[in-house]
Amino acid sequence: MDPGLNLLLWVLRLAFLALLWVALALMARALLRDVRAASRDPAASLGRLVVVASSGQPAAGAVFGVDAVATLGRDLGSSVVVDDPYASAQHAVLTFRGRAWYVEDLRSTNGTQVNGAPVVGVAALAYGDEIRIGDVRLRLERGRG
Amino acid sequence: MTGLAADVRAPALPGFPRPRPRPRELALLAAVILALGVGSLSLGLARTGRLEPADLPGLALFAGGLLAAHALLVLAGRRVDEILLPAAALLGGIGMLVMERLPQDLVVQEIGPWTLGLGDLQLVWLGVALAVATAIAVALRSDRWLRLYKYTWAASGLVLLALTFIFGSEVNGSRLTLQIGPISGQPSELLKVILVVFFAAYLAENRILLADARVRLVGPITVPPLAYLAPIGAMLALALGIVVVQRDLGAALLFYAVFLGLLFLATGRRTDVVLGLLLFAAGFALLALFFPHVQQRIAVWLDPWADPLGDGYQLIQALHAFARGGLVGTGLGAGLPEIGGRLPIPAVHTDFPLAAIGEELGMTGVAAVLAAYLVIVGRGLRIAAAARDDFRALLAAGLALVVGVQAAIIAGGNLKLIPLTGITLPFVSYGGSSLLANAIVVGMLLALSDRGAAPLAPPRPSRLARLRRSPGGPS
Amino acid sequence: MTPGRPPAQRVPALAVVLVLAFGILAAGSSYWQVIRADELAFSPTDSAVLAAARTVVRGKIVDRDGRTLASSRRTDDGTPYRVYADPAVSHPVGYASALYGSAGLERAYTAELMGTRGGDPLSRLFAKLLPPADRRSDLQTALSLPLQQLAVRLLGDDRGAVVMLDPRSGEVLVLASTPVFDASGIADPATATATFDALREDDASPLLDRAVVGRYVPGSAFKIVTAIAGLGSGSISRGTVFAEQPESEKDGLLVAGYRVRDGHHPFTGTTALDLVAATEVSCNIWYALAGLQIGGANLDVFARRLGFGSALPFDLPTAPSQLTNGGGPLPGGFLDDVELANAAYGQGEVLSTPLQMALVAAAVANGGELMGPRLVTALIDREGRRTPVGPRSMGRVLDPSTNAVLVEAMTRAVEGTYGRLFTGGARVPGVATAGKSGTAEIGGQGEPDSWFIGFAPAAAPTVAIAVVVEKGGRGGERAAPLAGQMLRAYFRAQP
Repeated sequence: MDPGLNLLLWVLRLAFLALLWVALALMARALLRDVRAASRDPAASLGRLVVVASSGQPAAGAVFGVDAVATLGRDLGSSVVVDDPYASAQHAVLTFRGRAWYVEDLRSTNGTQVNGAPVVGVAALAYGDEIRIGDVRLRLERGRG
Repeated sequence: MTGLAADVRAPALPGFPRPRPRPRELALLAAVILALGVGSLSLGLARTGRLEPADLPGLALFAGGLLAAHALLVLAGRRVDEILLPAAALLGGIGMLVMERLPQDLVVQEIGPWTLGLGDLQLVWLGVALAVATAIAVALRSDRWLRLYKYTWAASGLVLLALTFIFGSEVNGSRLTLQIGPISGQPSELLKVILVVFFAAYLAENRILLADARVRLVGPITVPPLAYLAPIGAMLALALGIVVVQRDLGAALLFYAVFLGLLFLATGRRTDVVLGLLLFAAGFALLALFFPHVQQRIAVWLDPWADPLGDGYQLIQALHAFARGGLVGTGLGAGLPEIGGRLPIPAVHTDFPLAAIGEELGMTGVAAVLAAYLVIVGRGLRIAAAARDDFRALLAAGLALVVGVQAAIIAGGNLKLIPLTGITLPFVSYGGSSLLANAIVVGMLLALSDRGAAPLAPPRPSRLARLRRSPGGPS
Repeated sequence: MTPGRPPAQRVPALAVVLVLAFGILAAGSSYWQVIRADELAFSPTDSAVLAAARTVVRGKIVDRDGRTLASSRRTDDGTPYRVYADPAVSHPVGYASALYGSAGLERAYTAELMGTRGGDPLSRLFAKLLPPADRRSDLQTALSLPLQQLAVRLLGDDRGAVVMLDPRSGEVLVLASTPVFDASGIADPATATATFDALREDDASPLLDRAVVGRYVPGSAFKIVTAIAGLGSGSISRGTVFAEQPESEKDGLLVAGYRVRDGHHPFTGTTALDLVAATEVSCNIWYALAGLQIGGANLDVFARRLGFGSALPFDLPTAPSQLTNGGGPLPGGFLDDVELANAAYGQGEVLSTPLQMALVAAAVANGGELMGPRLVTALIDREGRRTPVGPRSMGRVLDPSTNAVLVEAMTRAVEGTYGRLFTGGARVPGVATAGKSGTAEIGGQGEPDSWFIGFAPAAAPTVAIAVVVEKGGRGGERAAPLAGQMLRAYFRAQP
């Protein structure tokens, strides 16, 4: 084989191996970044819901960490399971959008209240506000971490 | 009821689903496609002396398929893992290059007017696998049917096994292949997925009982109560049974290792794992005592040079291939010297693809392949660690283990670290059933990694109109 | 670990296990691809080596003076094949045939001759980037073609072997084994099949290299080993005498019901012999008694220092020599005192290759330090650059002052008053020669094997030799005179 071609061939071969490792390094970096973020504070969450009063589940005093989207309701698939006779299966959803918290009532049978006032559609929330679903009252607090 | 049954179904929210860009995945896929392209160029240059990719249509189809899968995931809008697909694509691509490099007449299939060789068939299967993985990643939203029907799954797995035993065709002394018309596959590959689902569901449901309601066996050693030991005992019997009846040492080892791993995750009792290992060792020793094919495998593993032209030939040739590769290999297309027109390693495309990689891509290439498996396992375990409940955690961990342990077993066999077994190297070996089963694994892992809906944009002011704003509003 | 913790939290432990497993795999890969890589990739059975063998023209093999021993020629259609200088060198040089594989040096140095191995690993790595270089080497051996031819001629129709080496460096000048075969006949594609088939059917096993794998009963030549073991361990000394030895000469010595007999008592009468005298007249009884006094353990230890018990480090594969079949209850593996006594004078279950016995002579010749035997002394690349293959010591067997006793004993065995009666044929005019003959009885049927080991000049040896002639009669009949002629030719050829 022509010596120039032979050199090119080996350059290509070594480049192939190098590129494989570049791709792997990028994957590894993403992996590590993820692990580091998780281990920094596994309990980190955007916000917390503290159960102020309750007739059943969840028990009063329980604290739930909530992230950008949290569903509230009787359905066991909800982020926060509210087991109250007046709660619907999918009762409300708590979201963090932009820089503020909002709660949205999902056409529940008995409605959602914020600080005593009924919620129609989407309501903005501040830290310290109380959400009421049935007989369960939940207070929004700042997150940890 | 099981408690904490979290459904995969995402919350119904306005504007959902929505296409979401997946930049990290795109970047990684681009890097992988670039690497594979350069590799293909090197193979083409070595073969023809001209600077052209070895199989341009194949490469284009593979790249196109990956980008199409990526596009589908973007459109589906689910926030699933962005590293799994590129890692699997890296391995699949290396496998494709190896199959392209090998003589195409190793496997020939006629489909209609076309005659497909080794490389073409691998590409077809890769395409099908990619489609399956993407479909599962996009469509699998509820794990209810996985977790609730665990005994159905187990039963179907056993039925599959029985069918293979009764109707299967014998290849090299093992009855692993089931032939339906023109398509032949290895149901044991599918079985591993089914069993992982069963294990995860069973252990998730019973883990507290298994860990707490112990029965004292001897001194400080306790075991789970007998009723719950039954499925475990059945598993042991199944694994060893496979060895005996189907001569599939690899599958038995794989099932058992995955099971032990999941058992550890579920109960946290290290004694259980140790006992399980001891039981397996004892069972295996018994088998080695009574079954000549097990003895033969062990003898070849211990000293293949005792029978260099017979049983030990394949392994010796593989070790020579690794030796010839050295650090950077001989280059794609330049290794595997043929003697009299035949490859030095028999069945290299199914049993010893790692040896071919070792020879042509060197230790660097082998390490890259091993690293890619670690990435997949790592992501899988990460998904398990972040899972919302026990079942999903165990399922994700089990799926990750299935890929990682299988790769470790066959790589170990290729490198003479453990006896050789007949299982395939995931994503790299030739074999449709293997690719499909592993595609299902990747698809399920992607589905399990769904992080739920992302933070949405602030609502439009009109939607806030009918609202009384509380004093000291949001910052 | 409390079971109450969710499985998700135990995942890191599992991750660690898997990382470890893959780490082991990476280590395994590096074992085969780096550590054992050269050994496998350049072995004669490697596929790449075999594939190259069909087209590559091998390097030459030359003797110590540059005479060509093996070279290549092409057939009409351009296929290369090997030709060899003389059937006398067929055993050490071997053959390389497309059909019948390779043997001898052609096999052992396949990679160097074909250029598949050459240079250090780093330069090989860089060499990949450059066009394929011609890394073939020629082999320079220590063999002497004229002496090798002489040895084969002297052995004639007898089966046997001659090993001649330089005790100072281990270089092997002669490694002859008869009957010889025609390596060129095997290598030439036109005659290969016919030649090889005929050789395989030959009862005399001409393909067998008796010098390195032929195991013979050494007879009295082995007494040197016993003497080394005795002096080295301090169990006997130069002046050791045994009272019962002169008395037993007439009827033989009784050892546990077995009679050890001698043939020298008409000459020595009732004199009690010491080590030197016993060696000169080759007294079996003295040595049997010495053996019992030395004990199997000491005998084993010193024999191992000389190379017994394992394959010798050498360019060609060798068969290990043994003291005993082993498994016996006595130290060293001997069955009983009878076997030990018999082994001490070279019978019993002792089996030795001619190369091994030559090393015994070489160790004594080199002041007690044994140099490892070598055939190849240098590799010469295409540009003529020589890479010498250095001498290697196998260790010290005896310290110089103790060794001097053996030199004296062996000199007397050839040059002494009685010595020259038995072994005088080995003498070289003008050069003091040392040695020991052996007459190996083989099961009482037919003629014994004739042995001689020795070195010269006794004061400052430059050559050591071992000769065995199957069914050659007494040591002094065939082996000693043959050795003498070899030594004479050697010294004549010296400048």
